[in-house]
Amino acid sequence: MGKNNNLLKEFTKGIFKENPTFHIVLGLCPTLAITTSLGNALGMGIAVIFVLVFSNLVISSIRKIVPDKIRIPCFIVVIASFVTIVELLMQGYLPDLAKRLGIFLPLIVVNCIIMGRAEGFAKNHKVLPSIFDGLGMGLGFSLAILLIAGIREFLGTGKLLGRTVFLGFSPSAVFILPPGALLTLGLLLCLFKKLKKEG
Amino acid sequence: MDIKTTLMIIISMVFINNFILSKFLGLCPFLGVSRNIKPALSMSLAVIFVMTLSSIVTWLVYRFVLLPLNITYLRTIVFILVIATFVQFVEMVILKKSLALYRTLGIYLPLITTNCAVLGVTVLNIDNFFVNNHPVAGSFFYSVLEGFFAGIGFTLALLIMSGIRERLMLNDTPSLFNDLPIAFIVASLMSLGFMGFNGFRF
Amino acid sequence: MEEKLLVSFWPHIQDRVSTKRIMWTVFLCLIPSGIAGVYFFGLHALLLIFISIFTAIITEAIIQFLRKKEITISDGSAALTGLLVAYNLSPAVPFWIPMVGSFFAIAIAKQAFGGLGRNIFNPALSARVFLLLSWPKYMTSFIKPFSGFDTVSSATPLVLYKEANLNLSNMGLSYLDLFLGKRAGCIGEVAILWLLLGAVVLLFLRIITLHIPLSFLLSFSTLSWIFSKSGFFKGDVLFSLLTGGIILGAFFMATDYVSSPLTKKGKIIFGVGCGLLTFIIRRFSGYPEGVSFSILIMNAFVPLIDRYLKPNVYGKK
Repeated sequence: MGKNNNLLKEFTKGIFKENPTFHIVLGLCPTLAITTSLGNALGMGIAVIFVLVFSNLVISSIRKIVPDKIRIPCFIVVIASFVTIVELLMQGYLPDLAKRLGIFLPLIVVNCIIMGRAEGFAKNHKVLPSIFDGLGMGLGFSLAILLIAGIREFLGTGKLLGRTVFLGFSPSAVFILPPGALLTLGLLLCLFKKLKKEG
Repeated sequence: MDIKTTLMIIISMVFINNFILSKFLGLCPFLGVSRNIKPALSMSLAVIFVMTLSSIVTWLVYRFVLLPLNITYLRTIVFILVIATFVQFVEMVILKKSLALYRTLGIYLPLITTNCAVLGVTVLNIDNFFVNNHPVAGSFFYSVLEGFFAGIGFTLALLIMSGIRERLMLNDTPSLFNDLPIAFIVASLMSLGFMGFNGFRF
Repeated sequence: MEEKLLVSFWPHIQDRVSTKRIMWTVFLCLIPSGIAGVYFFGLHALLLIFISIFTAIITEAIIQFLRKKEITISDGSAALTGLLVAYNLSPAVPFWIPMVGSFFAIAIAKQAFGGLGRNIFNPALSARVFLLLSWPKYMTSFIKPFSGFDTVSSATPLVLYKEANLNLSNMGLSYLDLFLGKRAGCIGEVAILWLLLGAVVLLFLRIITLHIPLSFLLSFSTLSWIFSKSGFFKGDVLFSLLTGGIILGAFFMATDYVSSPLTKKGKIIFGVGCGLLTFIIRRFSGYPEGVSFSILIMNAFVPLIDRYLKPNVYGKK
């Protein structure tokens, strides 16, 4: 019973209290570049969850046999391998999405969240908690980019997932441009700061 | 290797497709180190250094190892390992040769390794200057140029930002916006200004 | 909370009376240009001006109320920002454009930074670029002067020159027309005559100095003359100065105290930078007008300029 509770905690912390995007503020590069549409965010989110869970799994499994001095390069190889797998899978089955994600697909390797969880959690914890940590953080990240993408796509094009939603206003194209991304994230950070203060 | 392409690469890397304000590569160090001008300067030098040299090394590895062996799909893994190893090596050399330089650059080097900007520019070089697995004319020169000026663009944005943030610390920014949120607002307004370079053509 | 010793030299505009006087004087000096704009483009322009000023004032009042700070709308700075936002708009835009613009200018570009004296970027220009990028269709549709109710749309002389390579006679305009403001353009930027008169008053009252406008206009003119589209040293400088928003920008926007450098040297550097960037953007980029972008970019450099060009501390060698 206690074990299950702990696992649940590892899972939910990634979504709320320690949300990697809004609280720890990591993995910003894709957060701003990818979120021009919900579809992209969905694709990226799934890719990141996949890499996070599996790399956490592997790193946690080998944590006792990896020499400390070369652990970073080892982690990188593990993470990069799973990223390559995702890259190849996506290029094969979802080539349009792969094209839209562009360089941010291979860049998942250097997404601070993944290395951050490897260093900060997986290398010190057992396999099962590490999996849940990866799931939670991945989901937290995905929810964050889905939120940002939803806002940007809606305000910027009046559509969601490519389909026109009720438009009472003229879409403000700046939101699908870089300044709009930065503005959206800045304002959301304010919002979450306020919620954290009060919650 | 003509002048026009050279100039376009420079203008593109520094202004039109600025790595931070346009492509959003290198945001973590950008936000982390931009609170003060001095560390920002040191970080910038390290970034220019790593980006340029990584461009050189990864181009060579791609051209003479990955391409001939037909394993270009391993580019991500190979590049990141090459960059990490290489930066580790450089860090050791600097530590040995000049303690002063190490103190300025050294602590930032490992930070940059796992930075989207460096891997980003090396991948960008391949995408831009290799067509159908063949290097275009002047590919090596352009790649190195692109790496160097991507670093310059990074530096420009970082220096401006650190100047602004240092001044903002003396401000009475509303606590809701303090530190990170206002940094994003600032970046957003900077980005608005830089959008003026869109559609640049000679 | 340790005491914050503010050892800085920013213009801490603490004196409310002098701020009030400055802001309202600038406001007054800008009015003739606005009247000319309304005269050329009709009552809708007047509506836009009112909506813009009103939104700016209300936004500032509400934010200051929510922040439990003193409400300072009577100091005229919000009104001035509102006026400038309107002056940067095409007279044909829908009524909600100045609302969004003024809101953005006050809430994001000014109040988020802490209010008067603390913004880094010129609020009116931030708003203008934000609007331009958000609704390019509305922001780049202009009308002919004296169109009456059934407005006749027209591209601005700057666009006609850049895109269609027309010269003044093709456009059916003369330099005098440009000087008086009889051309398509933004509400407050066309009437060069009235803008210059207002600027002269401000210069006379020492509210602004010549450093920024002069360095801005000189550097821009020189580059335009030398590197024009029609060949080296063949640039039509008069045309470049009388079209677009460079007069409005150089005298009334770039000179904003808070977002421009403190020292004389700094001001000149700032002005030259603005001139250089305006020229580059006008000449090479996709946009016909570069004034707004260039001032915003130079605004970003101001903290650096001021840091490395500190005024001499009294007593130091």
